Amino acid sequence: MNGWALWRKFRTHFDWMLFATVVAIAAIGLLNLYSATRHGPQRDLFGQQIGWMVLGFFVFFATAILDYRVLTRLAWGLLVVGFVAIVVTHFFGIAAKGSRRWIGLGFVRVQPSELIKVAVILALARFVQDRESQELGWDAIALRVGALGAAIVLIAWQPDLGTASLNALICVSVAFFTMKRLWPLLWGFFGLAAAAPLLWMYALHDYQKKRVLTFLDPTSDPSGAGWHSRQSIFAVGSGRWDGKGYMHGTQNQLNFLPEQWTDFPFSVWAEEWGFVGSIVLLGLYFFLVLWCLNVASQARDRFGATIAVGVAALIFWHVVVNIGMVTGLAPVVGVTLPLVSYGGSSVLTMFLGLGLVASVSMRRYAR
Amino acid sequence: MPLLLDRHRPAGGTPELRARLGWFVGAVTIAFLVLVGRLWQLQVIRGDRYFQASTDNFVKERFLSPVRGRILDRNGVVLVDNRPAFNVYVTPRYYSRSAHERLARILGLSPQDAESLWSSIEARRGAERYRAMLVREDVDRDRLALIEQLRSELPGVDVEDVPHRYYPHGTLAAHVLGYMNQITEAELARWKGEGYEPGDSVGRYGVEKQWEHYLRGKKGSERYVVDAKGQRKGEREAEALIAGPRWVPPVPGHNVVLTLDAELQRIAERALRHHPSGGVAVVEVSTGKIRALVSKPAFDPNAMTSGISRVELTQMEADPKKPFLDKTLRQHYYPGSTYKFVTLLAAIEDGLVTPEERVFCRGWHELGGRKFRCTKAHGSVSYYEAMAQSCNVYFWQLAERVGMDRISRVARDFGFGAPTGIGLNGDVAGRVPWKAWYERTGGFRIGYTLNTAIGQGDTEVTVLQLALAYAALANGGRLWVPQLVERVETASGKVVAEYPPTLRRRVQVSSRALAMVQRGLWGAVNDPNGTAFKARVDGLEVAGKTGTAQVRKLQKFEDGGDWNPHRDHAWFAGYAPAHAPEIAVVVLVEHGGHGGRVAAPVAMEIFEGWRNLVHGGVARAAKEGEGTGTEPGAEMGTEASAASRNESASPEGVPESGEDILFEVREDGEVVPANVAPPAEAR
Repeated sequence: MNGWALWRKFRTHFDWMLFATVVAIAAIGLLNLYSATRHGPQRDLFGQQIGWMVLGFFVFFATAILDYRVLTRLAWGLLVVGFVAIVVTHFFGIAAKGSRRWIGLGFVRVQPSELIKVAVILALARFVQDRESQELGWDAIALRVGALGAAIVLIAWQPDLGTASLNALICVSVAFFTMKRLWPLLWGFFGLAAAAPLLWMYALHDYQKKRVLTFLDPTSDPSGAGWHSRQSIFAVGSGRWDGKGYMHGTQNQLNFLPEQWTDFPFSVWAEEWGFVGSIVLLGLYFFLVLWCLNVASQARDRFGATIAVGVAALIFWHVVVNIGMVTGLAPVVGVTLPLVSYGGSSVLTMFLGLGLVASVSMRRYAR
Repeated sequence: MPLLLDRHRPAGGTPELRARLGWFVGAVTIAFLVLVGRLWQLQVIRGDRYFQASTDNFVKERFLSPVRGRILDRNGVVLVDNRPAFNVYVTPRYYSRSAHERLARILGLSPQDAESLWSSIEARRGAERYRAMLVREDVDRDRLALIEQLRSELPGVDVEDVPHRYYPHGTLAAHVLGYMNQITEAELARWKGEGYEPGDSVGRYGVEKQWEHYLRGKKGSERYVVDAKGQRKGEREAEALIAGPRWVPPVPGHNVVLTLDAELQRIAERALRHHPSGGVAVVEVSTGKIRALVSKPAFDPNAMTSGISRVELTQMEADPKKPFLDKTLRQHYYPGSTYKFVTLLAAIEDGLVTPEERVFCRGWHELGGRKFRCTKAHGSVSYYEAMAQSCNVYFWQLAERVGMDRISRVARDFGFGAPTGIGLNGDVAGRVPWKAWYERTGGFRIGYTLNTAIGQGDTEVTVLQLALAYAALANGGRLWVPQLVERVETASGKVVAEYPPTLRRRVQVSSRALAMVQRGLWGAVNDPNGTAFKARVDGLEVAGKTGTAQVRKLQKFEDGGDWNPHRDHAWFAGYAPAHAPEIAVVVLVEHGGHGGRVAAPVAMEIFEGWRNLVHGGVARAAKEGEGTGTEPGAEMGTEASAASRNESASPEGVPESGEDILFEVREDGEVVPANVAPPAEAR
């Protein structure tokens, strides 16, 4: 096949709808990031983010072109690599805000706990594939569940409760999607509920407890964690119908929003573009999640379908938790808004996941 | 089950998973609808409220303090002024424990004070945490420099330059002028809506308190933009983000011009220098205007206004001489013999005594087997000798004829037993007893009448009441409402209100009776046998009456020695010139002893000082050439030098403490004793 034929094949098979949605969200993300960072000392974050986006699209296309099925063999291996990266990070990483989450790779900093989400999704997909193709004994199932559980515990221990919970939510979502009978999931849920008090006492750090408590009773700490949540609600609400105008959000420009470029970009967007803008962005995410599920429904095999469901879950939970957080429906946890929050690891993770979905989508046709 | 429109038919696939996908889509849809609902709630339903909340975040309003009105004397001498000062404020939201420790060290707070300040800062909640709290007024330059230097390590600490109340003459007329301090929670609640806020200073005493609403002016305000750290943003942001006026200028307070004469006040205070405790009232006879009002000891209004330490305050409050008590109108005393004119007038008016009638004083009066002792055996006395020599027996005999209630009636007519109406510092009524009152409180006896006749027993008056009564004696029977404020002006000098003298009433006595009393008062000072004869002033005829009021019965204390709280009160009440009266002076020396020996000289010094001030242009010019710099009276300025010269010849001529030495602030800010450069052309 010559180059022209390859391009034509690519053009007909490539999921342009997915790509367009991703581009739209990324464009909004960049636009918003510029407003969120143009004042103050975070001005260079915008340029960096463009760099990450360029890299991200490269990764997206590379992953899309790559036949996802070659990853079947590598799935568990990648999870192990993730394990190692997290352990290494824990001991040699760059500390910030009470935990070591970043590891320096030359001139960039990478957050392995973000990237491991993709490995978890691949491992889940492999697990599902394995259950279909062979009869797994209890010990084999336990080993696999244990490996996934270990990954989550490891992230929580880092400590990065937000990411750990997110991985757990992805696993549960995929399990819900693929398990033949749902009652073990139910038992697991009850078990977790029973263990909650113990987790509260022994597993949670004080600052994490405080965040949860503040969420339950915002008046308990009006100037600390509750302040962030309140200011975020003020920002969102004050956008009213059509917003205060691009780069005219006072909550944003006068720094009443904490870390508006990572955790609270949606507040910036909602303040400056109002309900109309919020609905547009929310609509794009909704469409993206549904599109990924659509890809899952048309995938040619279980491995691909599970990947698409996993990525849909990844995006869905990120969006729901982040927007829930900035609108006061969820406690303030560090969960990013896909393609809108600043952060190389987050951007790469999303593009990797979406690239996998594109790859699954391209290969739904029988050849 | 294709989820979305799909042009291509899928090959192979995983049909058994699609059933679950339906659930999944449902869940996602519900979740997004919840988010949309929440956004609708926040942005559309409550949008306006949050918009307001976000505006409140960055629009800060700051009151601009007006310059408080000044208080001037009748000649325009500034008695109360404002000077620039620096106050330290703390905004709890941006403040920290470490900043507090640093600030406490800079301000030199004691650990207890620092701790209580910290807890009051920490006690602020909610929006209150964004409001600056006044921590220390009038910080000195060294501390200010330290704060400026450590700016970056003192988050939430602000220094603002504000006008600070300043009393350039120190303790001069302290009780009249008053002082200021921080508003209390209770006052804030009471004066809600009048623009007061925590940290404001309000008048606490004297004119500062009574004329608060004229003096304070009107606050202006300024609205500006702050970011989340409380940092003020520039005008460009303010212009873009704040609708409506951003700056309302403050309106300065009105100036209050008193009837007081600062120079006479100074003379009167100086005249009391040998006596630790007492009061003086000087009233213009023809108007009732107060020219001087002294209560001693005094507090220092500058110290009180700048925040006096608790220890010092407790000490002052425990002082038996009561520096916070206004002894001219807040406290009443037995008037003693100064009250005898009341008894005499009652008798003359009822025709119970004639000018010629004589009474024989053997040194005592007998009533019901009890002997009432006179000061000595005066022999045969008419009303004239009785007044001049203060013979008690004469008045006791009159009292038996006149009776209690006639004396009371005349006393009330002269304003005793009721507040004078000045309204300042809790003016008290004093007490004028009458028969029925005694019968109500345990039975009347004729002895009470005898006591009342000579200003003892249950009769109590204030210094100011007595001064107004003597002014009425001097002016032919007009009892004035005392006047302290001449007029109120705007800061630029436009007259806002002018107060004419107010007549309280014409006293119901004949001019014949008044003339008799006046003659008696003349004799007390000018007759060689008069009780105040030794204290008389050359070249000025004074009429008046001494009084020695017993504080405790049956106890006699020698004159001299330290201040003794059981010793008699010494009084002098009079007016001058005797035949064309202009001013009335009343002197009370608390526990001073004998009126003629102790209070009369003080009064005479005031009369003489007044004479030199008002009529003594020639005499003053003559004295000036001699150079008065080395004499203790020199710091009084030239007007007082004649008086001080006179008194410095007396054995007690040296001031007992430095409290009479006045200071002034030079243009360069240095404080120097005022006698360095006598204000030769002060008036």
